Amino acid sequence: MIVFPALMGCAALLMRSAKAALTSMAIGVAGAIMLGTFAIVQTARHGTISALSTWLYLDALSAFNMAVMMAVFFLSTVFALVYFKDEIRNNAFTIKQARQFSALWCASYASMTLVLCSNNLGIMWVGIEATTLLTAFLICIHENRSSLEAMWKYLIICSVGVAFAFMGTLLAAASTQHVAGLSGHQALLWTRLRDHAALLDPVLMKAAFIFLLVGYGTKAGIAPMHNWLPDAHSQAPAPVSAMFSGFMLNASLYCVMRYVPIVEAATGNKGWGLTLLTALGIFSIIVAAAFIVFQHDLKRLLAYHSVEHLGIIALGIGLGGIGTFAALFHTLNHSLCKTLSFCAAGRLGQIYGTHDMRKMNGAFKISGVWGTGIFGSLLALLGVAPFALFMSEFQVCKAAIDARAYVALGLFLGGAAVVFVGALSHAIPLMWGENENKTIKPVKGTIIEMGLVAMPLGALLLLGVWMPGFLGGALTKAAAIIRMAQLK
Amino acid sequence: MTMLIVLDLALLSISLLNTGIMVVGLQGILLGLFVISSHASALSLRLVIIASVGIAIKGFVFPLLLRRAVKEAGIQREIRPFVGASLSLLIGVAMLLAALWIGSKISINGIIDVPLAVPASFMTMFTGLFLVIARKTALTQCIGYIVFENGIYAFGVAAVGQTPLLVELGLLLDAFVGVFVMGIAIYHINHEFDSMDATKLSSLKG
Repeated sequence: MIVFPALMGCAALLMRSAKAALTSMAIGVAGAIMLGTFAIVQTARHGTISALSTWLYLDALSAFNMAVMMAVFFLSTVFALVYFKDEIRNNAFTIKQARQFSALWCASYASMTLVLCSNNLGIMWVGIEATTLLTAFLICIHENRSSLEAMWKYLIICSVGVAFAFMGTLLAAASTQHVAGLSGHQALLWTRLRDHAALLDPVLMKAAFIFLLVGYGTKAGIAPMHNWLPDAHSQAPAPVSAMFSGFMLNASLYCVMRYVPIVEAATGNKGWGLTLLTALGIFSIIVAAAFIVFQHDLKRLLAYHSVEHLGIIALGIGLGGIGTFAALFHTLNHSLCKTLSFCAAGRLGQIYGTHDMRKMNGAFKISGVWGTGIFGSLLALLGVAPFALFMSEFQVCKAAIDARAYVALGLFLGGAAVVFVGALSHAIPLMWGENENKTIKPVKGTIIEMGLVAMPLGALLLLGVWMPGFLGGALTKAAAIIRMAQLK
Repeated sequence: MTMLIVLDLALLSISLLNTGIMVVGLQGILLGLFVISSHASALSLRLVIIASVGIAIKGFVFPLLLRRAVKEAGIQREIRPFVGASLSLLIGVAMLLAALWIGSKISINGIIDVPLAVPASFMTMFTGLFLVIARKTALTQCIGYIVFENGIYAFGVAAVGQTPLLVELGLLLDAFVGVFVMGIAIYHINHEFDSMDATKLSSLKG
């Protein structure tokens, strides 16, 4: 699963034409998805699978995240083909860029898989750091001043942030020093840590969790460490922003999820770590709400939505109870929805030649397919009723009531209301307004494009009204892993 | 370990880029020697590999890469930093006090018996962070990142003796690729903006 996309990425470097390089990339991703599906089915059947003397390890939590990742990569890879076809036609996308893009794309797929299926927390960190470095150049595939600026900010902020996470990993390892049976190479194996969690040094583990939260939180775009996110998302080509927002943020939050049960058990199940997560989650929602109201750039608007929704996920995990389940469900919904919205925003941006929403009026008339895509996904992002995001946000509310966290609930609903009004005031003129610029001609969508819009939207609608049994079961299992401490 | 702190203070007051690079290289070599000397009684093949790879990368490859970037950019010294040299030194002393305080607070079982190991590693981390925040050239920010990484590395050696070889090597590799990527990025920034003043990277806001 890790090696195959990496190999195809290398192959893409050798391709003679831009199209061939992109095709090689698509084959790499498709093959990896097939292998991944096989692994997930195995996990579902046996509970957990491990390989290489338990260095690689898959359980319900990682399998679920991997399924989300494959969905995001599938959609954004297909979209990348559509998106760059246009640019190749306009000679805006050279062979060199295509090779670079394909190789980095496959490599980042490989490193994210590594994050998900490594049992060793050190290797998990290596995977996250690798995604930072690999994706840095995806941001500035089209080299210009602002994309370079975004890339530099991303590189410096995330590198330093992820270094913090490494410090946390070291402290976690240090907290095992006096536990018998946890020495040498076992000190960082997650399964071993989980089994001995109650014996770990609580002070060191607390210090470790703070570093980890700051570190992985930076990469996950949790406020106040989110500054790189809007720049990187708005400057990167659309498929890249879709992948960033759809999965890279989640991969980083996944690392935090891994540590939650260990920290909780080590600090005596008092909810110490969960409180921190709740606070950060709420802070993210509020910060994002404030910026969404005054945003004019479509992709930056979506980027702040990411900050908001990652905040909601953190809040859900922090609240515990049904919140953990809701948070995982929200991960899936948000990823599907965000991939669609960035794809739509990117395609519309290509058609209009700008991402300034004040100049993008009347998107419905210009491109029915992508107009529907962006409006549908924006509505879903705002938490409008039939979509699945409404359901998961509703469950988060319920978790807040269960946990008697009324302050958190009030702040969450307040933030969501501000986002709702703010974003809707941008979205309505975007859809139905009259465009003064008459030179932009309406564009017809192809069948692939329609499929790209219809699939995630349909899935979101379906999940909003009906949760299939296997998905519910998988989510419950995954949530139980995070909540391990609370169940005991 | 005292040497490590002295080098940190030196980094804070230096404005010549080449000298700064030299100091970082020295720090890298020192760290490698520290790995060997601190475990001198029970030296294993694993430790020797880690130490020698560390010395090679941090002591020689990084300075080489950075020096090339300086040559490409054609500038010699830091441009009007936000915080001047003498004030930086004062802040450095404050950071040193904070590091000593943290060192007195943290007690880890099985920590190796080298005086000042924890304060020195924290001091190095603080210095790195300070350089990233308070300096203007992209190159010095990159140096700051290396120093920060050095500090974590020192802490890792001091506090956690037994991380697996694979993890350590992955770490070194990541740091290496990180600096490499930053080097290329600096080259592109320099090419596009005719300078590597990171304050010019400020058009994206809000």
